[in-house]
Amino acid sequence: MVYEFRYLAPRTATELATVLDDIKADGRILAGGTDLIPNIRNGVFKPRIVVDVKKFQGADRMAFGSEGLSMGPAVTINDVLRSKDARERYPSLCACAHELASHQVRNRATVAGNVVNASPCSDMAPALLCLGARAVIRSATGERVVPFANFFAGVKKTVLVPGEFLATIIIPAESAGAAGRYLKLKRIAGHDLGIVGVLMTRKDGELRFGVSSAAPTPVLVDTVGAKDDPDEAARKVLASVSPISDVRGTKEYREHMIGVYVRRLLSEVE
Amino acid sequence: MFDDIKTADMTYVGKKAGRPDMVEKLTGEAVFVSDMELPGMLHAQLKKSPHARARIKRIDASKAAAMPGVRAVVTGEELDYHIGLYIVDKFILAKGEVRHYGEAVAAVAAETLEQARAAVEAIEVEYEPLPPVLHHMDALKPDAPLVHPELGTYSYIEAVFTPKPGTNIANHTKLRKGDVDKGFEASEYIVEREYSCPSVQHVPMETHVAIVQWARGDRVSIWTSAQSPFTVRNLFCHAFGLPHINVRVQIPYVGGGFGGKAGIGIEPLCAVLSRKAGGKPVKFQASREEEFSLLPCRSALTYRIKTGVSADGRIQAQHMTMYWDSGAYADYAVNVTRASGFSASGPYEIPNAWVDAYTIYTNKPYGTAYRGFGHVEFHWAVERHMELIAQAIGMDPLEFRLRNALRPGSKTMTGETILPSTGNVVKCIEEAARMIGYGSLSADELRRQEKTGWKIGKGVAALQKAPAMPSFTATAVVLKMNEDGSVLVNLALTDYGQGTYASIRQIVAERLGFPIEKVKVAFENDTDRDPYDWQTVASKGLLLSGNAAILAAEDMLRNAYAVAAEALRANPRDLGHDGDRVFVKHHPASSVAFSAMAVGLAMPNGNGIGGPIIGVGRYIAQGLSNLDKNTGEGSPAIDWTYGAHGMIVEVNEATGEYRVLKVASVYDVGRAINPDIVRGQAIGGMIQGLGTAVCEGYIYDQQGRLLNPSFTDNKIPTAKDLPMEIECAVVETPQIDGPYGARGVGEHSMISVAPALGNAIQKATGAEIMHMPMRFEDVWRALTKKEPIDNWITKSPIGSCRSAPEARNRG
Repeated sequence: MVYEFRYLAPRTATELATVLDDIKADGRILAGGTDLIPNIRNGVFKPRIVVDVKKFQGADRMAFGSEGLSMGPAVTINDVLRSKDARERYPSLCACAHELASHQVRNRATVAGNVVNASPCSDMAPALLCLGARAVIRSATGERVVPFANFFAGVKKTVLVPGEFLATIIIPAESAGAAGRYLKLKRIAGHDLGIVGVLMTRKDGELRFGVSSAAPTPVLVDTVGAKDDPDEAARKVLASVSPISDVRGTKEYREHMIGVYVRRLLSEVE
Repeated sequence: MFDDIKTADMTYVGKKAGRPDMVEKLTGEAVFVSDMELPGMLHAQLKKSPHARARIKRIDASKAAAMPGVRAVVTGEELDYHIGLYIVDKFILAKGEVRHYGEAVAAVAAETLEQARAAVEAIEVEYEPLPPVLHHMDALKPDAPLVHPELGTYSYIEAVFTPKPGTNIANHTKLRKGDVDKGFEASEYIVEREYSCPSVQHVPMETHVAIVQWARGDRVSIWTSAQSPFTVRNLFCHAFGLPHINVRVQIPYVGGGFGGKAGIGIEPLCAVLSRKAGGKPVKFQASREEEFSLLPCRSALTYRIKTGVSADGRIQAQHMTMYWDSGAYADYAVNVTRASGFSASGPYEIPNAWVDAYTIYTNKPYGTAYRGFGHVEFHWAVERHMELIAQAIGMDPLEFRLRNALRPGSKTMTGETILPSTGNVVKCIEEAARMIGYGSLSADELRRQEKTGWKIGKGVAALQKAPAMPSFTATAVVLKMNEDGSVLVNLALTDYGQGTYASIRQIVAERLGFPIEKVKVAFENDTDRDPYDWQTVASKGLLLSGNAAILAAEDMLRNAYAVAAEALRANPRDLGHDGDRVFVKHHPASSVAFSAMAVGLAMPNGNGIGGPIIGVGRYIAQGLSNLDKNTGEGSPAIDWTYGAHGMIVEVNEATGEYRVLKVASVYDVGRAINPDIVRGQAIGGMIQGLGTAVCEGYIYDQQGRLLNPSFTDNKIPTAKDLPMEIECAVVETPQIDGPYGARGVGEHSMISVAPALGNAIQKATGAEIMHMPMRFEDVWRALTKKEPIDNWITKSPIGSCRSAPEARNRG
């Protein structure tokens, strides 16, 4: 132990909402902890209270129903990869999940945490964006539903306000069966953050691109038409992103690779 | 120490033999300093500089000192000790001025780690930031700020090094052979290029850690994760002016070093905290981030080579200028510069050579030894250069290498004559080429290329290295016989993972003629108990300590024979022995057991003879000399280990992505004492080399802050990054003075991996890459003829990796 904080693990969603309402900005929400704990260790965050969202009844629920696939905040990346529903109905969700970090990290990391963290290089965001997923956001005063297309507000920022938590992720039933592939450029073959990542899904002639590591937030591009030629498609995707130069790569290379990936995906995803 | 015995005729040498530390390490039973706790032990934490260069105006540690659990606070102001091996240029804590990002300015010891952390945060430091000098080429400018204005006052090993006070040059190594002007005049082609590589981190699994107790009467006990117990003790005693008898250094199992734990490290810091805390033991373990910026790294290099070649492809002259970036302290970097200077051409004959090798101070984390000791970095340049020369003159690169490779009768740059026993680099190159099917693509490879659209290319690169060590480097091995006739081996050469103890055990068992189960090499090293060894570095361990082990075994047998001769009333010349007893050769029934003699033999009447049986072996490097400071001539090398890699790579020309399909590595190890350990070293070092070739490297911003001080953005290879096929082989040209003909290979496997990859990429696609690492983007930039990126010093005016290709036909 190198830093002391109070740890709370509410047993019901209502209790969790009340606790979060009480502590507001003083606390941090703990899901898998794969970002929070290193950030505490490195002194980036110094929360007085850490609230675990994995312990309430139903937090680890993952079920496919008439509405679609719903996932509580304790559902881990490996839960997704092990789920028959996810594998059979949402292959692109699994394609993204498989590219996230290493097996060990995937045992801890949650889908909810990956998107609430709102890193530009989130691997799960492209899938949730392309599949039209919705965030069910809860607080002491009620519940609101936000499509992931409107969920990300900036670098490491979401529409969540203090007191709120991401209670359920719903991937609509109508997205089931979408074909898709995720291409992620990394520095090593082992676990790494993406230099760029592009997911393309195709369903009933409709194309969607989810792009990570290329803008302040993960980006959804749904303007590409089925009849667009590859260069036109690449142009449209590039128009929606704004890559930067950093230690992982230059803007120039990122743009080039997004174009390469879009063209490749168009020919590969049937 | 070479005896011409075929491996087939030996019992242990050259055969399969398990590692003595295998079970402890695989089960987690092995105890490392990281695991250790002592009664009353305090935990240390450090306050580190956020600036690359700044004047320390004020440090207020009063709040920290008053915090709960805090037992000692130390700042640089109150300490006046310089630390160093080759050039004594470093304080324990920054004093007056910080010289690099991450440098420690104050330290706290407290009862718990949390208390120490809290106290460090409460220390207030007021800095006046000063303009740093970041790129080593910038540091040579006449108006560059001086990193060490007091350079002229530092002590250093004067016979070997040449600092230039009033500049940022910590050392200038020179070598002059023949007449380069004439050589260039006689050349048909001249090719001049510049190559570079960034600083990288060793990344040992166990970060630096030490526990030090400064007890009453200035008796100091040190437990440390280090490579060299005696050098830690010696440098520690020099720094503090203590008698050697007062200081004891113990090294248990070590979780890797790779050169980063050579010399002395964090021990003095723990010591001053312990002293101030009234003698309580103090432990400091570096975090991974501290490993990157507080502790030393590998120096960056810019290497400019100009080569004159005759019409038939023979090198006539070579002008070589190495600019080594030592960072803020140059203690070890000066010796990297020296060792690289005399080896700067690689394994090729250069009739007329001119080398200037500079060690340059900058305001960055400092360099130290790293597996290969400069040879990984400069072979990157040399072996890319050989490829580019071959291309420029229209010759196959393999043929060009073989035409210029050292052979018996060749003279090295220091004037040493290559003998048939020196080792066979030609055979290594030929074998590596054969193992990858150099020169053409197989039907399978052509089909694969067709299917993937990725271009397949094959390249080779050769390598050489001799141990970089003082000319009089020495070691000793002591064997002690136990009551049951088994044998304990004590030595202070440290096995921090490389496996030398397995080989030493085989050598001792072989020479004694004992079953190997009766031989134990004691793992923990202790300066109070073990005989001297200089350092566990330089790939010299097996050669020197192996020879000492042979001598110790012979001494043990001599001592046992003396007792047996007396007991059996026989002439020692008429005695023989097996694993259990000494017997009279012509009356084998007349014998005495080793177990009976082990601690002194009791005669039937009760009289005692002999005494505990021990064997002592001492060995010192023979025939080496200091190099002439003006010409570089002399004998620096106890042995040269040669080798070569062949590499097959497939490259996506549209993206710069590539995959290594095969690596074939060949080394002339003289004799593989333990073939599995040679293979382990060959594969481990190759992958470490591949990591630095593919993705590793320090990235700074323009203020000199390290932007990637962790595994988030300083990636190292994982199991998934292994080449699809790895093949290793040895050539065995016996080293006449090596144990059973063996020479070292610990570092060599990392050397020339990067240029083999670069050469294969060039063969596949034509991409000419002159700087490491070769990230996919770098390959893409080279393919699309875009300006190389240089984020090693982001946007530094001279910080470009740009090279100046210049191949002109003088005819």
